[in-house]
Amino acid sequence: MDSLIAANISQRPLRTAISIVGVALGVVLVSLFVGLAHGMMHDAAGRQSNVDAEVRVFPGGNISLAGNPLMLPEGYADAILHGVQPTAEDPDLKPIPPISGVASTSAVGEYVQGSVAGIGFEMVDGLAYSSFTKTTHLAISSGRELGDGLSPESAQEAIVDHYYAESGKDLEGKPIGVGSKISVLGHEFKIVGIYRPSVLARVKIPLATMQHLLGGAKNCTFVMVKCERPELADQVVAQIKQYYPGLRVIQTNEIPALYSQGLAPVEVFLKVVIGLGVIISVLVILLAMYTTIIERTREIGILKSLGASKRFIVMTIEKEAAMISVMGVVLGYGAAVIGKFVLEANTRLMIDLELKWFVIAALIGVFGGIIGAIYPAMRAANLDPVEAISYD
Amino acid sequence: MPSFCDFSVARGRLAAVITLSGIRTSMNPVLETIDLRMVYHVGKVEVPALRGATVRVEAGEYVAIIGPSGCGKSTFLHIVGGMLQPTSGQVMIEGEDLTKMTDAQRTDLRRRKIGFVFQRFNLFPTLTAEGNLKLAERIYSGKNNQDSARRHGVLRLLGLEDKTHHKPLELSGGEQQRVAIARAVINKPAILLADEPTGNLDTENSDIVLNMMGQLNKELGQTIIMITHNAEAAARADRVIEMRDGHVVRSSSPVAAAQVRQ
Repeated sequence: MDSLIAANISQRPLRTAISIVGVALGVVLVSLFVGLAHGMMHDAAGRQSNVDAEVRVFPGGNISLAGNPLMLPEGYADAILHGVQPTAEDPDLKPIPPISGVASTSAVGEYVQGSVAGIGFEMVDGLAYSSFTKTTHLAISSGRELGDGLSPESAQEAIVDHYYAESGKDLEGKPIGVGSKISVLGHEFKIVGIYRPSVLARVKIPLATMQHLLGGAKNCTFVMVKCERPELADQVVAQIKQYYPGLRVIQTNEIPALYSQGLAPVEVFLKVVIGLGVIISVLVILLAMYTTIIERTREIGILKSLGASKRFIVMTIEKEAAMISVMGVVLGYGAAVIGKFVLEANTRLMIDLELKWFVIAALIGVFGGIIGAIYPAMRAANLDPVEAISYD
Repeated sequence: MPSFCDFSVARGRLAAVITLSGIRTSMNPVLETIDLRMVYHVGKVEVPALRGATVRVEAGEYVAIIGPSGCGKSTFLHIVGGMLQPTSGQVMIEGEDLTKMTDAQRTDLRRRKIGFVFQRFNLFPTLTAEGNLKLAERIYSGKNNQDSARRHGVLRLLGLEDKTHHKPLELSGGEQQRVAIARAVINKPAILLADEPTGNLDTENSDIVLNMMGQLNKELGQTIIMITHNAEAAARADRVIEMRDGHVVRSSSPVAAAQVRQ
């Protein structure tokens, strides 16, 4: 072998392998965590954008994944569609006209539960099937429609989307199909139908059941509003805000952006992960190269006796570190891709391995390695040549 | 890049050498040390290694430096090779004063003008014989400026043409030392500094190595300064410098040196 760098790398295979794995770990950490966060966000945002209803009405305040999810009286769905009139029970009620341009409304409960697969989380919708399908397109591809949850027979039934059915297992570990049993909100539910396309949560149960289980009687998480024509959305939003000023009203096409805002803490977490990736790469290479410099003290002395400049010695060590880092990055890519397929096959996690983050992970791996090698390289370059060449 | 045959340039230096009273001198010595002193500091104790060594070596000379252990031979060699900065005195290599140079400048001079051969061979164990030479070439001239013909010429001259792809551990001690010599001369140094080159070799291999060094000196005019404890090795040189207690105590022909030692 004629290349000193290649020879050094191949001469100590275990050290090289450990260094490569260390760098790969940083790359996997960055790629998978970022991919997971973005994948889940894009998946959820994508399912949100499949909703036909142009307007969404929430309780006042910020959208939160924590706390009781059923905080909005479901009566708003009827009020927006039909208006409010004084009743015998409440004769002083101030009349509010129906919101013009609204075709249909539907109250939806949304609950986040731990994933049945044990990794991550998943959302569950509570809905009144008949009104829900008036606000967004939903087709049962297998089985039947979801019941209203008011009868004992329909209370414990659910419908799931095709992805959930294809990727998940039921409580007995069998592939999911109509008739399978799954766990929702800690209870056993029977799947009665599989639907397309994926809209909101993948698992849907009757709203009445969700209200019963969560103790949020007659409440929902939000109301979906379908306009007579999409261009009426602005007008509908303005009217709802006018008549119901305490509510938060948004258009469906704003939801993905809101998801991004809501995931700001996740971005902070991702930055921490990226920082950890850098630290791992730097430390692994620093320790590996520092050890190797001590082992090779006499060889560095030989280089100095041959007239190698400090720059030459630094560059030799840096190139070796960079080569190890590049191999680590490649291994990290491979592991990340395999990890994505393994996770997606065994869980309902969605992982987006974006090119941009592959590039960032590569830069982190390679530059982390180069930075980690600076101190050992400088130390080697500054060794006393006579002492180095006499080193045993 | 000059060819292997450009060793004739080095040989040409011989023309300038004048023999005078058995000691060759010229107007431009390849090495001149003047009152060279070196004091090591061990804690608070000062340990003098060189106490005013003045040596002059002409181009094309083959000089052996002998003396008892601790007399300052290795320190002298390391200073002349630019690996150590002396406490005082002057070291001129082809007119360039080493003692006035920075560390980087001394490294550069070592790269351009010095070739080292060590007792322990000091080859890179992971590289082949040719790889060791290529590395020296790369340090000397940069990656894209290597002379394959010259490299093979040197290996052939040292009887290593069939060992080019062998790693050091696949070579005998004598072969390893010949590779080390090939590496030392591959860049046509002004001076070949050899520190006990036969110290780790048996008689047969010592003889081969010394023959090779003699051949380099006689045929190519390579200036050689060799430290040795071996009287037979010293006898191969043109001149023997004897050191004692950090001083040069004698500079004479090998025959005269041998007579004095007897």
